[in-house]
Amino acid sequence: MTQGDGDPNLERALSGAAQPPGRDAPAPPSGTDVLARIEACIPALRRYAVALLRRRDEADDLVHDCLARALDKLHTRREEADIRAWLFTIMHNLFISQTRRRRSRPAPESLDDSHESNTGLRATQEDALLWRDLQRGLAMLPDDQRSVLLLISIEDLSYAEAAQVLGVPIGTVMSRLARAREKLREYTGQPGRPALRRVK
Amino acid sequence: MSDRIPEADLHAYIDGRLPAERAAEIARLLAQLPESAELVAAYAAQREALRSGFAPVAAEPLPARLNLQAMVAGRLAERRTRWRAAAAVVLAFLVGGAGGWALHGRLAGPPSELTLLAQEAIANHVVYAADRRRPTELGAEQREDLARWVSNRLKHTVAPPDMGPTGFHYMGGRLAATPQGPAGLFMYQDESGRRLSVFVLPMPHMADTAEHMVNVEGMDGCAWIDKGVGYTVVARVSRDELHGLAERVRQEFDSQT
Repeated sequence: MTQGDGDPNLERALSGAAQPPGRDAPAPPSGTDVLARIEACIPALRRYAVALLRRRDEADDLVHDCLARALDKLHTRREEADIRAWLFTIMHNLFISQTRRRRSRPAPESLDDSHESNTGLRATQEDALLWRDLQRGLAMLPDDQRSVLLLISIEDLSYAEAAQVLGVPIGTVMSRLARAREKLREYTGQPGRPALRRVK
Repeated sequence: MSDRIPEADLHAYIDGRLPAERAAEIARLLAQLPESAELVAAYAAQREALRSGFAPVAAEPLPARLNLQAMVAGRLAERRTRWRAAAAVVLAFLVGGAGGWALHGRLAGPPSELTLLAQEAIANHVVYAADRRRPTELGAEQREDLARWVSNRLKHTVAPPDMGPTGFHYMGGRLAATPQGPAGLFMYQDESGRRLSVFVLPMPHMADTAEHMVNVEGMDGCAWIDKGVGYTVVARVSRDELHGLAERVRQEFDSQT
């Protein structure tokens, strides 16, 4: 959407809400049509991709590929399946295959500084430092732990949904989540009282 | 870490995934376990920092290339370009004579013009059948208006076939654009919500063909050409059932002419 995510014309066009359904037409089984529901998920997919990959350009590539794949597979999707979990699953599978490809060439993990300064407007200098630390810590986590942490902490997926998206048992989700939180806490030196016990 | 509270419960507590009674119980336990309480506070602060830190990303306007509607439109246009490229092959084959026949022999399966027809029909079915609210431009109550309108645009008299005995009832229809000109699309739905579309495209220079199954990206269409008009029936059903539906459509159109 070039005009932001609230373009009313587009919403109307996609949801078909401009005209009421005909008298004889059956009532729609769900509130909005599938394209509108996919569209509503794009900001969250993008947030997840940015947090996962750190680089904006790569993140937008991933979201784009995910949407393209979703359109390819639109007619194979079970109607009752939750669209958000379905999209995150597609994106996770794309991410995994990309990561495998990338492994073959040695690429040092570097933080995208432009992204760091662009992401989030921090109120104070200390907040900014904490945020920087947190992002660095996030970048140090193994991919599988980072995925779990983000899907649960930020995207509000249930443990069962995260297990489904990542294709692992719930127990694995729980142990990855625990390890991710603990590693991140150690890295940022953040106990209950951040200002007192920050290591820097 | 925590001696008395299982780790999984600590995280479920932080993520708000515990039943209310269990959450209250954990809160009581934490009041007596300062170390666990500190850990929970740290994890909760971390969770909150991640959420607020990445929240601005979701509030940003999307870049143009993530515009879903434009992506859908682009894909339809791309299919049409492929249509044109494939049509050029057909032309080359008609002009090319013997060489063309050799090419034809290598491409087993349905005649290429039927593949092109079915690709267009299936692409339109995928887009419009997925639209839960308004898959049609004119609904069932305007059956005759639509028939007149489509017939005028197609320069060929056509009316939506009655699929009653098959369990599919008529929902309405629309015009669809193809590189060969306008096509008519009639949409049906059965009791379980499955959708069927009947695609009608004038193809005046093409010879009659038998019915062929064409599969495009996992979706089957049953296509044929009769008296210069191409027909395709598309639905997510078994091939046997699709053949039966196509047979009904064929009888209906035969009775119209």
